[in-house]
Amino acid sequence: MFIEYTWLIPLLPMLCFLIIGFVGQKTPQKGGYIAIAGAAISCILAVLISYEYLTGDAYPAAVTESIHWFTIPGGFEINVGYYVDGLTCMMMLFSSFISTLIFVYSLGYMGEQGERRKRYYAEVSLFLCGMLGLIVSSNFLVMFIFWEVMGLCSYLLIGFWSFRHDDGDEASANAASAAKKAFLVTRLGDVCLMAGLFILLGEFHNLDYASMFDPANIAAVDSDKITIAMLLCFGGVIGKSAQFPLHDWLPDAMAGPTTVSSLIHAATMVKAGVYLVARGYPLFVQDANVMLFVGIIGGVTAFIAATMALNNMNIKRVLAYSTISQLGYMILGLGAGGYLMALGIQHGDAALIAAGTAGMVAGCFHMMNHAFFKALLFMCSGSVIHACGTEDMRLMGGLRKHMPITSITMLLGSLSIAGFPLFSGFWSKDLVLDIALEAGDETVWFTVLWILAVITAFMTAFYMFRMWFMTFMGEERENAQHCHGESPKSMTMPLVVLSVFAVASGFLIMFGLDGIVGIEYTGAAFVVGGAETEGFEYFSELFTNPYTYLTIALALIGIGIAYLMYVKCSINPGKFNKNGESWLYKALSNRWWFPQLYNQISWKFGYGIARGVDYVDRQIIDGTVNGLSGAVVGGGSTVSKMQTGHVQDYSSIVLLGIAVLSVVFLVIAMITGGI
Amino acid sequence: MIPIEYFLALAAILFVIGGYGVMTKSNAIVVLMCIELMLNAANINFVVFAAFNQDITGQVFTIMSIAVAAAEVAVGIAILLNAYKMRKSTELDDEKLTSMRW
Repeated sequence: MFIEYTWLIPLLPMLCFLIIGFVGQKTPQKGGYIAIAGAAISCILAVLISYEYLTGDAYPAAVTESIHWFTIPGGFEINVGYYVDGLTCMMMLFSSFISTLIFVYSLGYMGEQGERRKRYYAEVSLFLCGMLGLIVSSNFLVMFIFWEVMGLCSYLLIGFWSFRHDDGDEASANAASAAKKAFLVTRLGDVCLMAGLFILLGEFHNLDYASMFDPANIAAVDSDKITIAMLLCFGGVIGKSAQFPLHDWLPDAMAGPTTVSSLIHAATMVKAGVYLVARGYPLFVQDANVMLFVGIIGGVTAFIAATMALNNMNIKRVLAYSTISQLGYMILGLGAGGYLMALGIQHGDAALIAAGTAGMVAGCFHMMNHAFFKALLFMCSGSVIHACGTEDMRLMGGLRKHMPITSITMLLGSLSIAGFPLFSGFWSKDLVLDIALEAGDETVWFTVLWILAVITAFMTAFYMFRMWFMTFMGEERENAQHCHGESPKSMTMPLVVLSVFAVASGFLIMFGLDGIVGIEYTGAAFVVGGAETEGFEYFSELFTNPYTYLTIALALIGIGIAYLMYVKCSINPGKFNKNGESWLYKALSNRWWFPQLYNQISWKFGYGIARGVDYVDRQIIDGTVNGLSGAVVGGGSTVSKMQTGHVQDYSSIVLLGIAVLSVVFLVIAMITGGI
Repeated sequence: MIPIEYFLALAAILFVIGGYGVMTKSNAIVVLMCIELMLNAANINFVVFAAFNQDITGQVFTIMSIAVAAAEVAVGIAILLNAYKMRKSTELDDEKLTSMRW
């Protein structure tokens, strides 16, 4: 009944984008209410569709409907349509729900931006359209189009403050260059993704999920081609989900408004990459080595990003690094699960395939939990920034008394991301660690990654509580002293709602979420959802596993160290970093020199090529054209000197000519004997 | 009957006088008048050959030629008048007129 209207879900925000774009300035809040209404209706529709799908007869088979779009000669069929399965349901529910809350929050946060709110609301609506379209689309091409729509919107929104150019302040220059960086770095991944999709299109002759995920069709295709294509597709994920080594755009993307960061980190954009891996699971698991690569990238990203968050002083940057780190967890979970599933398919081992299903559940589950607590954390940090007028944590402190709601909700979010027992992050993070350890039985790589991930869990707890303590506890420093107090209702209300989810969404695993998003391989088909739910098994396994207590202990130690350093001040952090002089400290504050690396590559390599091309263009191509035209002009001006301007000269030449011609004719007549 | 050579000689003499004038005179009006002389030499030839060949076409063509000459003189005088107005000179060798070349 509702499921036929799935296409409306991305269309509604698109409609809002158009309405706000054309007449937004005439509406109250410059289009804010329209954007909220669009997102809210999409959310309600997503709830109805999910309910209908999950209780319907078709479940767990995917419900998909496509119409023919165009044909490329050579038998390549391109369709456009929607595709609903458990993963789609989960994704569209949390993206539209969180986006709605973020838009409500924007009413307060962006309230002072005047006319520019129209642009803001139009762009965030388009952003949401991109994410929802990506989620419900039924084939890779349409998905890629929405993928690029999001790339465009992230560029526009990260650069939102760039209009301050006239003042020439540093922030505006940063916003413009951060937007460019985000766009170009993700573009690098997108080119890979496009190449991967070309290979897939060439092999499968269409890009519909329904036919590409059919094991019979996959078996008919050269498996090396799929391996290459999936590695290239994962390049797109590396760019979009800010994985190592293309992760460096995400911290810079903090130049945008905090709501935009929240949108990018929680509901849209970076989740698209993880979604692509989860969506493409049937193809990814065709080669275990691809999944090993995915897992390694995920684990390394999680670790590297967490280290960089350890000593950052900018409240938003810390959150940005934590996002990258958590994305690494998701990718690690998917990679480890996929590795097991790939081996299981190879050897026909049902236990390994089931473990792979658990890996996919872990990745998707962490994605959802992360969406809730990261949206919450960003919106809390936005609230703090709104009140203090700074992003530097060294200028905050003691805000707990001024901003009780923000401080408590942020504490809940921090507990959740730190993996404090029973909070949502705890469940999914430990599932990811669990699956990584299980994959470690098959290859030592995953054992290494598991160790990295456990260290990361410790660092996460430390840096999140370092942030919370520096912001809300201790003495009031400069900006905290003239803080405006708690933010308006439109901002705190979404915080409270989200904090409920950030605390409790982890319990969904016990109410059948794993059955909905987990992918099952039966030999005849890949089916998302419909698996037996093992919520309580996960639960009991988690609490009988000694490693779970290890991570809990590490998280508590992390929190404790942060407490001792930043509240009790009994440990001086300066002792460890030689007051910011140690090599490691510098490496971390320079982000492991990744920006410099990017610069070096682009200056040495990109600029070198550009200069070569410039030389060919200016000297050879332009030279030829300019030389030709110069020769013509010079020749013309030389020859024009023959014109004396004396009429008699011309007439004498005419007469001379006539005389000569006459003589010639006479001679001819005499020789030939008559005319 | 007067032999045809006389007429042709007259026309030739007229043409040469005109040509000489065109090439040597520096006053534009005199040059125009010399051009008329050359045209009329040609007209005489037309008429003469028409009479001797018992063919009316040459005489008709002369009427045509005279009309064209009149038009040409009108245009030429107009150009000269304007040139005089702008440059205050009708001397063809004058820098004021030769400078119009490019």
